[in-house]
Amino acid sequence: MSLVVLVGAGGIGAPAAIALAAAGVSALRVADDDRVEVSNLHRQILFGDADVGRPKLDAFADALQRRYPRTAVELHRGRALPSTAMALIAGAAVVIDATDNFASRFLLADACALAGMPVIHAAAVRWTATVMAVSARGRPCYRCLFEDAPGEGAPDCASAGVAGPVCGVAGAIAADRALRVLAGRVDDVVGAIVTFDGRTDVLRSVAVRARPACPLCRDAPTIHDLDPARYQPRTCEL
Amino acid sequence: MESNVEVTVRVPTPLRTLTGGADEVKARGATVAEVIADLEVRHPGVKDRLLDEKGVRRFINLYVGDEDIRFLEGLKTELKGGELLTIVPAIAGG
Repeated sequence: MSLVVLVGAGGIGAPAAIALAAAGVSALRVADDDRVEVSNLHRQILFGDADVGRPKLDAFADALQRRYPRTAVELHRGRALPSTAMALIAGAAVVIDATDNFASRFLLADACALAGMPVIHAAAVRWTATVMAVSARGRPCYRCLFEDAPGEGAPDCASAGVAGPVCGVAGAIAADRALRVLAGRVDDVVGAIVTFDGRTDVLRSVAVRARPACPLCRDAPTIHDLDPARYQPRTCEL
Repeated sequence: MESNVEVTVRVPTPLRTLTGGADEVKARGATVAEVIADLEVRHPGVKDRLLDEKGVRRFINLYVGDEDIRFLEGLKTELKGGELLTIVPAIAGG
C-alpha cells in the first residue's frame, strides 16, 4: 500500500487529493488544524456551504470518502510542528507540502531530507503557483532554491488573496509529481521548479541545481535536526 | 551612458504593483546588476524588493533564460541583449 502524506487540507490539498484518490492511491494521511471559512470555498473545492465552521479535516475526509471510498483517509489533527513532523511523515511513499506558511515549508523540507523521503512543495499566492519536487536523495532541495523566508512586513496569504483556479493548477501538478514518484519516475521531475502564471496562462519549468553551500543537502550538511528555533513563523511572500 | 543591451524581464505577480500591472517589462543593462538599476529607474521600488545589502535576497531567484544566476556570475552575469530575465520569489500560500 502506498501512503501519500498531504500536509494542508486547503486550496492545493483538495485538488491534489481528488487527483490522487481518482488515480487509485490507496491511502492518504492528511494534516491540518483549521476550520472551514466562507472565504475558503472558492478554492478549497472539497468544501461546501454546509461545511463552514467544521474542522477542515472532517469535511475533507467526508467529501473525499463519498467520492472515493476505496482510498483510506487517515487524519492528523494539527499543523506540522518540529515535535510532530517526523511522526506525521512516517511511512509515506511521498509527502505533499500544501501548507500556507514558510515555517511549515522549511520544516517539511528538512524533515523529509532527514527521513530520506521524497517531497513535493506546492504553493500559490494571487495569480502565481509554484511546484517543486525533491527526491528521496534530497538534492537539489527546497533550501537550494530558497535560502530563507521573506522577512516581517510582507503581506500575508489572507490579505494577498489567491485565485481559486491557480490553486487547482498547483494541486494538479503536485498530484502529477506525486504519482510519478509512486511510479518510480521521480527523476523525470526533480531538479526543476514549475511556475504557473494565472494571468498570462504561462506555464514554465526552470532548472534548479544543487547549491554547493546548501545547509541541508550538501555533502557535510549543518542541519541535522528539527530545532524549533529554525521554524519561526514568517509571512507568506515577498 | 545608457546601455544598448535590452532584455525582457518577467515580473512575478507580487511585484506587478510596481510595474503598473505589467507581467513583462523591458530594461537595459550589460549585466544583471545594471538591468536591476535600470528597472529601479523605470519602476521605483523594484530594486529594494530584489536586493539587500548582501546581494540578491535569499528568497528571490533570478534566472537568465533557464539558468539560475547563482551558477553564472551572479549580479555580474553579462547580457548580450534579447535575454529573458525571470524573477522567481518564494511563495507559501496554499
